[in-house]
Amino acid sequence: MRIKLTSISGLFAGLVFLISHPVAIFADGEAGEHVNNMQEHLENYEDEIVWFLDELQKITSAYEGGGSSEYSSDMLIDNWEAVDFHAAIEINYIQIYASIWQGIYGVKASLDSGEDPKSVDIQEAGLEKALWQGLGAVKLAARFQSEGLVGAQGNIDSRSLSPSETLEAIKSELDRALAKSAERLPDEATDIVLGAYLELFEGLEGDLITLDAELVEDLEKDFNVTLPQAISSELALDSLNQVVSQMKSKLDRSKELIQDAEESRRSVF
Amino acid sequence: MRRRDFNKALLTCGLTPCIGLAQDSDSNVISVDELPELVGEISLYLGRGEGGLYENVLKAISDRNPKFKLNIRRGPTAALANAIVAEKEAGIRRADVFWAVDAGAIGLVVDQEIAEPLPSELVSQLRPNYRYRNWLPVSGRIRTLPFNTSALGIEQIPQSIMSLPDEGFKLGWAPEYASFQSFITAMRLLAGNEATSDWLLKVNSSAKRYAGELGVVMGVERGEVDIGFANHYYTLRLKAGKPDAMLDLAFTKGDSGCLVNASGILALTSNKTVHNFIRYLFTKEVQSYLSSEAFEIPLVDGIALPRGIPSLDLISPPAIDLTQLSDLRPTLDLMRELRVL
Repeated sequence: MRIKLTSISGLFAGLVFLISHPVAIFADGEAGEHVNNMQEHLENYEDEIVWFLDELQKITSAYEGGGSSEYSSDMLIDNWEAVDFHAAIEINYIQIYASIWQGIYGVKASLDSGEDPKSVDIQEAGLEKALWQGLGAVKLAARFQSEGLVGAQGNIDSRSLSPSETLEAIKSELDRALAKSAERLPDEATDIVLGAYLELFEGLEGDLITLDAELVEDLEKDFNVTLPQAISSELALDSLNQVVSQMKSKLDRSKELIQDAEESRRSVF
Repeated sequence: MRRRDFNKALLTCGLTPCIGLAQDSDSNVISVDELPELVGEISLYLGRGEGGLYENVLKAISDRNPKFKLNIRRGPTAALANAIVAEKEAGIRRADVFWAVDAGAIGLVVDQEIAEPLPSELVSQLRPNYRYRNWLPVSGRIRTLPFNTSALGIEQIPQSIMSLPDEGFKLGWAPEYASFQSFITAMRLLAGNEATSDWLLKVNSSAKRYAGELGVVMGVERGEVDIGFANHYYTLRLKAGKPDAMLDLAFTKGDSGCLVNASGILALTSNKTVHNFIRYLFTKEVQSYLSSEAFEIPLVDGIALPRGIPSLDLISPPAIDLTQLSDLRPTLDLMRELRVL
């Protein structure tokens, strides 16, 4: 299965940020030591996906066969939280992590609301695709890790983030907030947004406001009002994604402005 | 108390360029060209802040000195100060130098009596009110009252911070913000707990709350509030990005409302490399860079102030030992007791 990563640099910046800011906030507890040596665990991750999809097949087949107390839709969540691959994809490519949760809840909702088997199959196919995409992303991250491009989880203060890296890290955090919304954890999603504002964006906005005050005002509102409200009102994930996409466009614009300003900034000596 | 002569200076200066106001013909500020090459290795604990500008300074020093290796541990200033104290209690020393973004954190370390005395000729480079024996303020920030110029004239704003809540203005604040809490610590030390409690209660009953002080300044500019409480550079930066903003700065006189706080540096090891590294931060090149790029107040003579700040001679900060601002715990307790936090 091939994966198209639209932004390798974004993935790298996200990895750097996550490594320099240990984020052990997982729905299923500690990430586990395996994330420090992913190359050694790729086979296990693949086996887990095969197992998860087999179990998914059993659940949907039981549903199509008229239902079974042995295979409930809640098992989808239990099974997903039981696999090591869960932490590996959450750490390495949060957009796909969000898609997996979206797929899980898509299948669950179609089963719980008694939709026809064809609709269930569509949701199932979407989930399967997201899982294999996730494996592709983890393989890429494992290669970066084994080549020493990123370190082990928990190394702090090894380097500072440049403003451009910080903006990429903010985008990763917004994706993580989306993922938590997809997991139906709105409070955690809101905390991530406000954390990204206080710990990352606030360090940049002083410079950024000298370049485009209106852009900063817009982003201030997005971080503190628009996105938290969208999360708390539990908008559909697509609508939430739209809000985040608009913020990302503004952050990309910020990155351009800051890069231009850095190039023209006077030297110290 | 209302504004008289002080107003004239402010109105004349306003937020228009005021380069040269702080020039001093007796200045002893040195150039980087006068410093010896740095040789050796030191470990610096660096409080995060000011975007990447401190990093730019450090990189420039390293680039200029190829025989010098600078190891940097970065983190929130308060956390690094606590780490230094904890390391001292454990009998180890990992940092040679600590550069903190606020003087309160410096005070926490100085209180442990582990900061080394600094060479007197280095200390004497600082303005007289900012000379300390075992730490040096690197650059300053002034507490100010940003106000909306379409709602108010500067002459309407009192010069006393304590009387401000009684004037019926719409106020904006960010009480969770570290600089605001240092300002309240100064108020507590200067005016006492009772007066500070009264002040906090009055402001809390009507002020609009913002997440940060840039938010306060933007709220003032949008006209959501008449006056805010914020460090000076937020207003200067907003004006730089939006020159027609309906915004200006007012200063109180001789009280915590115009506290000049500072980032600071101290040495935990005393040797030539450490002292010469610190000297780099007080060169005219670094001081003018922090002034022009970070809008910070240079505290050595002979360096131009950021555009938009009146001469320091016209500002009346309170007489306070900045290291006393480390006494933050009673401030937080008070603010929590009054349900401000």
